[in-house]
Amino acid sequence: MHHSVIKPNSWVALKLPSGVTRVIQVTPNTSISLGKYGTFPANLILERPYYLTFEVQDKLPEDSFSRLRVVPPSELYADVFAEEDAECANPAAGPGSNNDAVIATAEGEEFSLVDAESGNVIARSTQEVIDENARQKLTQAEIEELKRDGTNAGKDVIAKLLLSHAALDQKTSFSLSKYKLLKTKKYIRRFQVLPIDVPTFSNWQLEERDASKILDIRAEMMGLVGCWGNVHYGGEDVFLEDPKATTEQGEEALAPLQEDLLAGRWLVVDDTGGLLVAAMAERMGVLYKEDDETDEAAEEEEEETEQKDTERADGQQQETTSDTTSLARHPKRPRDNKSRDSDFAVPFSQTNTITVLHGASQPNLSFLNYWNFDVTAPQHPPHPLLNHLLTLSWLQLLKPELDTSYSTPPLTADPETLSIWKPSRRGNFHRKRRRYARVRHIVDSTRAGNFSGLVCASTMDPISILKHALPLLAGGAPVAIYSPSLEPLATLADCFSVARRTAWNSGHVAEIQGKTAEELEKWEGSEQFPLNPTLLLGTSIQTSRARKWQVLPGRTHPLMTERGGADGFIFTGWRAKPAEGKIAAKGKFKRRKVEETVSTPASA
Amino acid sequence: MTGTMTRPTVSPFLEPGLHTKPRSLAILQLSRDNLLPIYLQEASGEHDGYAEGAVVNTRYGSFPHSTMLNVPWGSQIRASKVDTGSRGRKRKRGPKDDASRDDAEENQPETTDNNNATEATRVKQAVADDSGFIHVLPPTPELWTQSLPHRTQVVYTPDYSYILHRIRARPGSTIIEAGAGSGSFTHASVRAVYNGYPSSAEDRKGKVFSFEYHEERYHKMKKELTDHNLDGLVHLTHRDVYNGGFLIDGTSPEADAIFLDLPKPWEALPHLSRRKPQTEAKEGEEWVSPLNPKRAVHMCTFSPCIEQVTRTVSAMRRLGWVDIDMVEIANRKLHTIRDRVGLHYQTDRGVNVSPHDVEEALDRLAEIEERVREQAARPRNGEDGAEDADTVMKNGDVAVKKDDDKASAAEQPPYQTPWVDGRLITKGEPEIKTHTSYLVFAVLPREWTEEDEAAAFAKYPCGKEKAVVGSMDKQTRKKERREQLQKIGDRKARRKERAEKIAEAVE
Repeated sequence: MHHSVIKPNSWVALKLPSGVTRVIQVTPNTSISLGKYGTFPANLILERPYYLTFEVQDKLPEDSFSRLRVVPPSELYADVFAEEDAECANPAAGPGSNNDAVIATAEGEEFSLVDAESGNVIARSTQEVIDENARQKLTQAEIEELKRDGTNAGKDVIAKLLLSHAALDQKTSFSLSKYKLLKTKKYIRRFQVLPIDVPTFSNWQLEERDASKILDIRAEMMGLVGCWGNVHYGGEDVFLEDPKATTEQGEEALAPLQEDLLAGRWLVVDDTGGLLVAAMAERMGVLYKEDDETDEAAEEEEEETEQKDTERADGQQQETTSDTTSLARHPKRPRDNKSRDSDFAVPFSQTNTITVLHGASQPNLSFLNYWNFDVTAPQHPPHPLLNHLLTLSWLQLLKPELDTSYSTPPLTADPETLSIWKPSRRGNFHRKRRRYARVRHIVDSTRAGNFSGLVCASTMDPISILKHALPLLAGGAPVAIYSPSLEPLATLADCFSVARRTAWNSGHVAEIQGKTAEELEKWEGSEQFPLNPTLLLGTSIQTSRARKWQVLPGRTHPLMTERGGADGFIFTGWRAKPAEGKIAAKGKFKRRKVEETVSTPASA
Repeated sequence: MTGTMTRPTVSPFLEPGLHTKPRSLAILQLSRDNLLPIYLQEASGEHDGYAEGAVVNTRYGSFPHSTMLNVPWGSQIRASKVDTGSRGRKRKRGPKDDASRDDAEENQPETTDNNNATEATRVKQAVADDSGFIHVLPPTPELWTQSLPHRTQVVYTPDYSYILHRIRARPGSTIIEAGAGSGSFTHASVRAVYNGYPSSAEDRKGKVFSFEYHEERYHKMKKELTDHNLDGLVHLTHRDVYNGGFLIDGTSPEADAIFLDLPKPWEALPHLSRRKPQTEAKEGEEWVSPLNPKRAVHMCTFSPCIEQVTRTVSAMRRLGWVDIDMVEIANRKLHTIRDRVGLHYQTDRGVNVSPHDVEEALDRLAEIEERVREQAARPRNGEDGAEDADTVMKNGDVAVKKDDDKASAAEQPPYQTPWVDGRLITKGEPEIKTHTSYLVFAVLPREWTEEDEAAAFAKYPCGKEKAVVGSMDKQTRKKERREQLQKIGDRKARRKERAEKIAEAVE
């Protein structure tokens, strides 16, 4: 689960010297091409640790492929070390004086040419603007040729480029290192493999793909939403007992809802394509499959996925086989939800769950594919999200009677009829009954409320979300709503303003007179009071931004440019359980005036 | 719920349940940013001179614990009428105290056989006050960070939320934290790594290994952890990590992530290596790494000064840490207010009685002018014209106002509801934190030896590559697309065939 080594068929991010990230699935026995940075067999990074920097080496005459070399950190930082050492050699002691703290550095090959020189270059006071094209004596054709024939993972190219730079000795040491960095980024054939976890993935999506798809949610905001939403592991899994319903039994055989078992459940509205759900699942420990098992287990899994792939390949086979037969073929598959379950067995845990409310008829959680979870797959290989992710539409939540899959009573059939049916019809029969039980459980348990928190990153109006979601929260449950822009959150915060709360509590609002506490909890909203202002406490809006710095000897400063665009804001608060009846604050501040003005619209 | 039943020691930070419980931490929200952590006590007789048992006195009223117990979290609690005045006098009376306790309970028969029961019945029922209320909230690291007793500088939510996200603190991880300080990061990190309490010593669950150098702080922290039922999840050690390192009784905590809030992180860094650092004096003895040998380790150091950062980063590079990245977090809180500008408002706090647009200004000016002209047209009594014009001006002003008031009172007043009036605006806090600390992030990959490489190469031999992933040339991409389309076509054809068959069968 914690990315110890690169597993077959997992998604990884390859960080290239140019700063570009490539996200690919590492399939065994394929080649991975990095364009100008070279091509290598995927098998060479399988079962290797993450975060290492590899160098694509030149093809050996006896090999048909390029081998990889792990670049030691001493080589990665050779330039900085050389600078620090030069600084140390000067009488003015620099910060690099803790050389003795080094783990024996295996001396790697370096661009001897430049390093020897970098100390000698005299810093010039007048910096001339060096026009690169004018000073570079190699022609483009020559460079192309070098790139083609160049060996030593691109280092030769860089060295030759530097050597043939006419103004090399006119450069200051700073501009020299800058020039070298520029060329290194372009030609060195190195890459680093990062695991696809939520921080890496969202960074990639934000910086290199379509940021608007994830509502421009930056790592800072993701962290804040998770913390203010108090999203964490919600307790050990608890499963309802299988009601052992026979095929003749209808809805009366459904497992009854046990409200006291429900705990550690979070309500989510996610319009980031599943990224928010992934972030929450990561915090709750249900995003990654356990891969700490023995190698054998891993191999088994591999076999299974292979089997699945062949199944996929002939789609017809999969579509026609009934569920029961497919269960028989994969006795191992329902490891998590016992193999002999009846149709009405609830596959979901009662604790540690994420309930996703979606506006379309199907939730859009496509990004979960990067964690090998496909919400649309009918038969899914084991994944922790299967038992912990519940999805329902707003219609199913608010008007379940209008939803066909909820309100249509389940099919029933006696075993004899069933046995003479075609396998496909039988499969459909079971599938429908299972879906019915699942939808029933999801809708009923969601409507039972008492959620541990609400987390949102949605394009919908937050007021309309809270109107229906607030009554479902347990007392004291946190609310954390992300929005790329401030305005929707400001309007929302205004619904809970002190003036509104005071007026509401003063007992002068005509609309709420004579309403019970329960009715007020489900307040439908009026023009003046879109939400019951007493249902949320300590509402506040905030934003965070991380400013990146460059840390180099003598050149430490914030980065000159960073991503702009949407800032991102979060709204936070806690669900309150207001006391019944009129309630007044203590204190000298007399709110006479307010009360008077409140009474006016009441009488009018 | 059953979880909390079987394990009554689960921290209220992790599984608070639905209701407040006795002997458990609760956070009282007195006002917006005024939070008070308290441990709720069951009333078992008089406490500290109060007949109602333990009482919290605030400027928003008095709140006996009994009114806050076994209520849903988030409940609004009314203040109670508590006798705070006679408390001092009563206490001085000492033994007689019991006899003169409460008029209401005089009639109750005294049972002498069960002392506890007697005490319990003696607890005065709290009587609700006319005004004043607070809310009782379940503890979370965020609320705790806002309300905890300060011992050192606190790592606030904007920083720790980002740090925990970046150092990949997840359920099941092991975290080393050096410089426990006030404990805000400890609470946040234990929530992040929590995946259940270990059932035995061998049971490996998410855990925080915390180190504190300062003895007094260590003891306070220790007590806090016990009070919060976090003992099985946080291992607190009193140690100077610069010299003592991070091992627990000589064994490795196998950390996956590290957070260093120390003045000199570079002095602690050598201990956090995979192999024995050269500086270690003790020769011969076996050196144990405190890191998880199977995973890449993520680290964050928290330093306020740039000089600390330079030295830390330099030391990290020499020790083989990669992906070194330094950031600082700027957090802003925003308040929303109704900005009310306009002549039609009554003078009130936060109202700016001046024209809210050019039209309003224009109307008013025109009106004044008209009045001045009217006034001027009237026959004068006095001789001095100039002085008169001035007074006229003033009078006119007043007249306009009066008129406005009347007019608006007559029609439907649009400004009687301060919560919808004016323009909704946002404003920053009056004071902002511009710098907390610099955060340096780094990753130490797993060790990878020649043997490991040979084993992996044997398991996944190369040379049988079937396809190319990643950037493909145009032709290959086209070919793949063609094949894909072909497959879909086949499937459609088969589906059609099947549908026909079914139709036949039905007939």
